[in-house]
Amino acid sequence: MLGNLLNPDLFASALRLATPIALAAIGGTICERSGVVNIALEGIMLVGAFCGVAVTLLAQASSVAFIAQNATWIGLVAAVISGVLFSGIHAFGAITLRMDHVVSGTALNIMALGLTGFVLTILNGFTTGRNTAGASTAVRHMLNPVFDFATQRSGNFLQTVWYWIDGVFLSLTPIAYIAIIVAVVMHWALYRTRWGLRLRALGEHPKAADSVGVRVIASRYAAVLISGALGGLAGANLSLEQVGSFSENMTTGRGFIALAANIFGRWTPIGSYLASLLFGFAQALQLRVQGVEFLAKIPVQFFLMFPYVLTVIVLAGFMGRAVGPAAVGKAYEKE
Amino acid sequence: MPVLELREITKIFPGVRANDRVSLTLERGEVVALLGENGAGKSTLMNVAYGLFSADGGEILVDGKPVRIRTPRDAIAAGIGMVHQHFMLVEPLTVTENIILGHEPARLGVIDFAGARAKVVELSQKYGLKVDPDAKIRELSVGVQQRVEILKALYQGARILILDEPTAVLTPQEVREFFGVIRSLVASGLSVVLITHKLDEVMEAADRIVVMRDGRVVGETVPSKTDEVGLARMMVGRDVVLSIEKTPANPGEPVLTVSDLVVEGSRKLESLKGVSLTVRAGEIVGIAGVDGNGQSELIEAIVGLRRPKSGTIDLKGHDITHAPAHETIEAGVSHVPEDRHRRGLVLEFDLAENLVLGDQGVAPYSRGGITNPKVIYQTARDRIKDYDVRTPSEHVLGGALSGGNQQKLVLARELGRNPELLIAGQPTRGLDVGAIEFVHRRIVAARDAGKAVLLVSMELEEVMSLSDRILVMYAGRIVAEFKAGEADAERIGYFMTGGGSKDAGPSSDTMEGGAA
Amino acid sequence: MSETHEHIVVEAWWAKALRIAAVPLVSVLLAMAIGSVIIWLSGFDPIAAFRALFQGALGGQRQISETIIRATPLIFTGLAVGFGFRASLFNIGAEGQFIMGSLGAAWLGLLLAGLPTPVAIPLILIGAALFGAAWAFIPALLKAKVGAHEVITTMMFSWIGLYLSSWIVSGPLKEPGSIPQTTMLSSNVWLPSFDRLIPGLIPVRAHLGFVVAVLLAIVVLLVLRRTTLGYSVRAVGLNPGAAENAGISIARTTVYALCISGALAGLAGASEVLGTNHRMFDQVSAGSGFGFTGIAVALLAKNHPIGVIFAALLFGILQAGAGTMQLETGISVLIVQIIQGLVIFFVAAETIVTWFVKRRQKLKLEREEAVDAG
Repeated sequence: MLGNLLNPDLFASALRLATPIALAAIGGTICERSGVVNIALEGIMLVGAFCGVAVTLLAQASSVAFIAQNATWIGLVAAVISGVLFSGIHAFGAITLRMDHVVSGTALNIMALGLTGFVLTILNGFTTGRNTAGASTAVRHMLNPVFDFATQRSGNFLQTVWYWIDGVFLSLTPIAYIAIIVAVVMHWALYRTRWGLRLRALGEHPKAADSVGVRVIASRYAAVLISGALGGLAGANLSLEQVGSFSENMTTGRGFIALAANIFGRWTPIGSYLASLLFGFAQALQLRVQGVEFLAKIPVQFFLMFPYVLTVIVLAGFMGRAVGPAAVGKAYEKE
Repeated sequence: MPVLELREITKIFPGVRANDRVSLTLERGEVVALLGENGAGKSTLMNVAYGLFSADGGEILVDGKPVRIRTPRDAIAAGIGMVHQHFMLVEPLTVTENIILGHEPARLGVIDFAGARAKVVELSQKYGLKVDPDAKIRELSVGVQQRVEILKALYQGARILILDEPTAVLTPQEVREFFGVIRSLVASGLSVVLITHKLDEVMEAADRIVVMRDGRVVGETVPSKTDEVGLARMMVGRDVVLSIEKTPANPGEPVLTVSDLVVEGSRKLESLKGVSLTVRAGEIVGIAGVDGNGQSELIEAIVGLRRPKSGTIDLKGHDITHAPAHETIEAGVSHVPEDRHRRGLVLEFDLAENLVLGDQGVAPYSRGGITNPKVIYQTARDRIKDYDVRTPSEHVLGGALSGGNQQKLVLARELGRNPELLIAGQPTRGLDVGAIEFVHRRIVAARDAGKAVLLVSMELEEVMSLSDRILVMYAGRIVAEFKAGEADAERIGYFMTGGGSKDAGPSSDTMEGGAA
Repeated sequence: MSETHEHIVVEAWWAKALRIAAVPLVSVLLAMAIGSVIIWLSGFDPIAAFRALFQGALGGQRQISETIIRATPLIFTGLAVGFGFRASLFNIGAEGQFIMGSLGAAWLGLLLAGLPTPVAIPLILIGAALFGAAWAFIPALLKAKVGAHEVITTMMFSWIGLYLSSWIVSGPLKEPGSIPQTTMLSSNVWLPSFDRLIPGLIPVRAHLGFVVAVLLAIVVLLVLRRTTLGYSVRAVGLNPGAAENAGISIARTTVYALCISGALAGLAGASEVLGTNHRMFDQVSAGSGFGFTGIAVALLAKNHPIGVIFAALLFGILQAGAGTMQLETGISVLIVQIIQGLVIFFVAAETIVTWFVKRRQKLKLEREEAVDAG
């Protein structure tokens, strides 16, 4: 019975489901490390998800063969760009206008919800529909057997290992792989590059960074825009790879869970990724629970609740011990 | 030709001319001390030289050539380095990371940590500034952190080094080492500007002394041609009257008794290592000491903002060791906080609401949870008059008052409660002379009315002139006790800076409240 | 701070009111202007749109009633979020507390069906408030004890509350049949609509909940101005260091403030259940958004309880008129949500912009004075 649960598919599913949260969480890490709180991740994801689908549909309908054939990739790029632009508003509000970061972020979330829903109805020409008409642009099977591993080894143990690696890692979508790469690269960059060192200094002691010539304002803008790009990518993963369409408010709080993942991951990219895996796992479990008899008796809503409950538990347990960048959320004043 | 020349520098802030056509030259290999009181404009001048402020007038010349310094990057490029009073160090990062920040040795953006570390070690040995390149800043003592700051400036290629109040938080051993470092830096060809208000250090370390007052240069001299009294006169503009008129004390019963108090500071290190003291009714006990030796933690523990690890605090028979703030207020403790903006006032409240902070729940200001505006505002009017707070009305917001009037307001509130014990932390910080005299007179009046007063101040003259008994705090302990008039500034200063105490070396575990 | 304290000017009360109201007014106008641009870009006529909007909101007795009925829950949630803001707490989860308040009202309404109206309704209201407060309690505790940011925790609790109530409404409390909603409440626990209270009025939906909301706004104002709790809340929100020094417990005040905020949001739910719908729906399929709109209302009103009433009415106008606008011009009602987000952004940004402008003026003034003096 439980054996039905514990197979590579579960873990693969966890990885898939974790991806949008992870990308957003890493974006949150970079952003907060620079000293800016990015509550708007939810809205950025939504905008990215929307633009990804919208542009893909537009590209698919194009008469230029190259565009039509690579529609999804173009949509992905559009999602990233839309994320960058949208987060730019937050950057402007929080950094230049020195608004309260949380208020600015919330305003953007509300705007994103309204904008995406509104444009959705415009694009479709009718005002009551809520989902895009069956745009099945799923890329989910594109890389399905990408690596052709011959399991020539006869040893059972190695066979099981290959079986698991194959099942878990080799059937993911492009963005899921990108997420893993981003986590590793960002982590390395944060600790080993010039940019990373200056970023870390920024969030802890912006005045110190300023005093040695680090451009505080520009660096913060860059960090917010990077988080916007990652958020847009997360949205693209959600709409293009996981669901295949866009529906109103499809992010359902993932942007906030991403913030918790960042805290849980101690404001490091790899930590954020691993923490997101936890949430992905919770979601994956929830989807498979129907298969397990005694669990299927519990009403579905309790399983739907689970990721959110988990987030609260994580925050309760880890807030006290996790301390974020010292200057996060505070506007920087130059005399 | 001077290595650095500041010509006719003018800098204006809202309402005040911080620098008024100030000129200063620095020759190669010279140590110039820039001397002045708080607010004289010396830090402002050097911040202009370092690009943290933009001058409103004047020019800067390095090696005779005019340079445009608008940001610290420009200053660093011109060979000017600065070590600030509040260190510009990033705590969670390592020594090496802090030193190279902004000028990292890198290939294609990737930092060459091995090379950086080697350079840090090389510089450290060349100038005799011992540091551990891999230690995290937050683990280091203030003295070592200062060395990191100096190394940072040297790493960036500074030929001119500006040091802002460098000895403010150093132990005497560290101060001696520090002067040695200055000498070796100068011998290697650097030129140093020392911003300070410490007269004895100026006499010891400077080749030339420039005195500033109220934004202008008022005098220039060399140590051989002057002495501390002469310097003080130049700094203040008149013969400094240090003592306030007061009758001898008539102490009564003990009001506050602190026994063996041990308190942990914000870094889980012991800030107070067993402090005992007594304050009687009708006496002023002053605690002298360099900021960061446990005074703030002592006040917080007594007032109830910090829980002691062990020991007792007794107020006229009540044990208030673990009492939270509202209980100590009820028991009769009043507190003028060291930071009036952070702890003393709510700037967005009006004066009347500020005046009931701490008493908002008690009669006659409120009953059963409902406040009584009539009483609150009438009391406010009376207190404002009594304490000469300059304001058109009691409805003005706290933030609109000047610093002096804000402090008078806080005093009005704390004394108006008719406390048994008044604790005053840095009560005249940032105040002008008139306000200082007012506050001093009121504190003495409180004493004469039979209150017990505990005064904590960084200004030794203030402690000496007001206190009936002086305790010296160093490294979390009381290291000396004097009656008024029993010791002079030099002797007290000796104990303040750790002389004669058992751990007279650099101690890494006490420097908390100070420089950061 | 400036040393030139002789320049302190005490404003006349009406000048102060005007200055405070200027920012929100301009923000609303700006937001509507941008909304118009979006409408125009989508190929519709903004003027016709807004005309339809205002007609639909204020054109007649029924229309005004629609505006009032939409504004009513917003007054409650605006008060809720505003009260939290006073303590520097961002209760973004007012939505969840609203849902729990609805649940409490529905459940108690079914339970207390036998009691006479003047007894039942106050009891249910108190019960709903307690449900709302309870839903804010754990986030409040977590904030006070471990510093967990209330934005994330209350947001999570919103989702948890959504699913929890969804289960209850589709399960234990469900009305027999296929629609996920509770049984209709018996009429003795209904908040009476205005036509029952005012003779000669045509049948309208607006109900007593509006009066309760307005009275509550006055109560909240009194609590803030004239009670020690209100004083503590304001002190903690403005300067926690000074509040702590004055003996105020930041932890305790945080919990009180957030729970009271939750209670107010819960009352919004009660008002909707008892007055508007007379039952509770599964919010997953028919979400309300009152909690989020409450944020816009609170910010627009600068967290002032009386301002909340006006801000709520404004949003009531926008939402009531949006339906007519959609019907007559074909523009989606979601434009209102966009305008909402813009309002929040502009109000928060405007405060900074005016501060900038004032600061530059002040600097200029003092520079001129300094030049004069020197």
